[in-house]
Amino acid sequence: MDYIINAQNITKDFDGFKAVDGLSLQVKKGEVFGFLGPNGAGKTTSINMIVGLLKPTSGQILINGEDVQKIDKGLIGICPQELVLWDNLTCKESLTLIGDMYEVPKKILKQRVNKLLKDLLLTYKADTVVTKLSGGMKRRLNLALALVHEPEIIVLDEPSEGLDPQSKRVLWNYIKSLRDDEGKTVILTTHLMDEADKLSNRVAIIDHGQLIRLDTPENLKKEIGEGDVVEMKLSKPQMNNEIIKSLKSIQNILSVVEVDGVINLRAMDAVSKLPKIMDKVESAGVQIADISVRQNTLEDVFIELTGSSLRE
Amino acid sequence: MKFLSIAIKDLKEILRDRRGFFFILLFPMLFMLVFGFAFGGMGGNTPHNLAVINYDQGSVLPNNQSVNFGNNLTQILENAKYPNSNVYVFNVTQPSESNADQQLKQRKIDAELIIPQNFSQASVSLINNTISSTTNTPSASSSNITSTLIIRGDTGYINFGTTQGILTGILSQYKDEIVIDTQNNVRGTPGAQPTEYLNSKVEPIAGTGDYTTFDYLAPGMIVFAIILLATTVAASLTREVDKGTLARLKLSKMRGFDLLFGGLIPWSLVVVAQVIILLAVAIIIGFHWQGGLNSILLAILVGVIGGIASISLAMIIAAFAKNDRQAANLGTLITVPTSFLVGAFFPLPQEPIGTFMGQSFQIYDFIPWTHTLNALRSVLTYGGGWNDISFQVGISVLLTIILFVIGVALFSRTRLRAES
Repeated sequence: MDYIINAQNITKDFDGFKAVDGLSLQVKKGEVFGFLGPNGAGKTTSINMIVGLLKPTSGQILINGEDVQKIDKGLIGICPQELVLWDNLTCKESLTLIGDMYEVPKKILKQRVNKLLKDLLLTYKADTVVTKLSGGMKRRLNLALALVHEPEIIVLDEPSEGLDPQSKRVLWNYIKSLRDDEGKTVILTTHLMDEADKLSNRVAIIDHGQLIRLDTPENLKKEIGEGDVVEMKLSKPQMNNEIIKSLKSIQNILSVVEVDGVINLRAMDAVSKLPKIMDKVESAGVQIADISVRQNTLEDVFIELTGSSLRE
Repeated sequence: MKFLSIAIKDLKEILRDRRGFFFILLFPMLFMLVFGFAFGGMGGNTPHNLAVINYDQGSVLPNNQSVNFGNNLTQILENAKYPNSNVYVFNVTQPSESNADQQLKQRKIDAELIIPQNFSQASVSLINNTISSTTNTPSASSSNITSTLIIRGDTGYINFGTTQGILTGILSQYKDEIVIDTQNNVRGTPGAQPTEYLNSKVEPIAGTGDYTTFDYLAPGMIVFAIILLATTVAASLTREVDKGTLARLKLSKMRGFDLLFGGLIPWSLVVVAQVIILLAVAIIIGFHWQGGLNSILLAILVGVIGGIASISLAMIIAAFAKNDRQAANLGTLITVPTSFLVGAFFPLPQEPIGTFMGQSFQIYDFIPWTHTLNALRSVLTYGGGWNDISFQVGISVLLTIILFVIGVALFSRTRLRAES
């Protein structure tokens, strides 16, 4: 298998706190690799080690078989979670500066800068200083700065954070084109399930610094069973545990868990089971305050695996 | 040539951050204005307010002529003028002693001269003794009468310092002139008129006829601005760390040299602007600039070296500060006392600890900006040339290189390597 990134048992210890705990994973060349986990799960720390900004306490990271500290600097481009921009430079000046820093020849750089500005819908803001850009424009420029030297590996740390739906759609299409048209390897960290689901070839679920599961979104969803999810909020939340016990006795119910005060029930053909579910609840003298039925998602995979919902 | 791209980027950032840029120039300019107005008139050709309290009761000369040397001295003080000038040295008033004391406390006058009752008697005694020693014949009326002139004032008041300095010189000269004049009379040499017994000889430093305290302080203000730059540069470097833009650059092919050398260029240009603007402001408010265009070029050279020392200090500060606010605070904590230490605001006590190349060395001579200041004073205030400042520039370069190496090493170790 052609792995471009190979992280071997990496650990990062911050004054006794293990931000990353024995993480091992391989990323294939030309795939979008989703890094899924709640905030504080250790995604950004892992990413900083993978790109060589942070030294692991133990373990090794190989890029194309070579230690990350020794690789060619132009191999990786990173779009950090925060907006990392020079406030008093224009879009074009920022991109040209980074291009110069990666030693991109002037003529090629000019073409690339213009193309990036066009692709990320920033052409008309090319000569506008960063402080005068909208939040979405800044995000797109943040991404463009990771791409101007055409790296083989692109690391996008929570790229959709704070984006409006339109900007998000532009970004997602662009990420897909990076993989499909340019053959880039993209590492995408996100806490947005639909983002990981729609864009990733494979998803690593990480929490408390540990790898919980690594597979394709489809396999992960299959693993916990296909079906529907019923979410219920009761008038008496203190009765949740009692009701959960009662609901588990219904035939063909795959799982029932409480997540943030909401009962989360997974079952095949959940709609046909709704009368029985309501009956169980009402017989316990409890009213249903809110109920919804939806399809199984990666979030449910996460809940199934970690027993909790994603933390914002 | 990545350092050039960094230099251009830094220059654009400095110029576009107008508030920050004006602060860099305006803050020292304000200091210059305050010091200019506060000290611009000091020590120059302005009359010193002097109250003379004359208790002298007069005496009789050997030729039976009645004299009052107290009145004579008062008249001389009233008529004394600065050399080649129509400005009087003293503005003499003759209030009562208690009134004069009151005026001293209110600083309405700079000093008070009390001429005792026996001043003429003491002067006549001096004349008689001079006659007898010149003719080798004992005089019948020869006796030693001592008279003490009192110069009273507030020793904590700088104007008293200058006034009493001038008075002491005049009084000593007055006594000498009495002796010389008597000797000349005895020997048959035509004597001078009493009022011409002495001429006031308050001599300013050569080449600085209108020298004021501000002329001494103005180069200090330029050095203060240069040292203060360390705070701004440190905050700028730390901001680059704090905002993550340094991490972005670290991931690229940029080397530490590109970042730090690239940063030197625009900040050095800021120093050039500071030197020129502050000098212009100083001249406008009364600084007596010496040395012509050549002195400006030398001042710029000296200023840029001092500026590089400040940037080096900024790197040291930025190596430890966690954010730009911390860098600004830490920078102020270091730069302001350093400005005092190098003598930017007032002269430092001379406590030599050794000699180097024939020059005595003080403890603060290990600070590069001490030499920046000495060199700037030399070229701007005293009109010195390259030969006068070459030693100071040499030492300044040496100390700046040492500081730069320390700055680069610390900043690179803490900020330019992968975090562990």
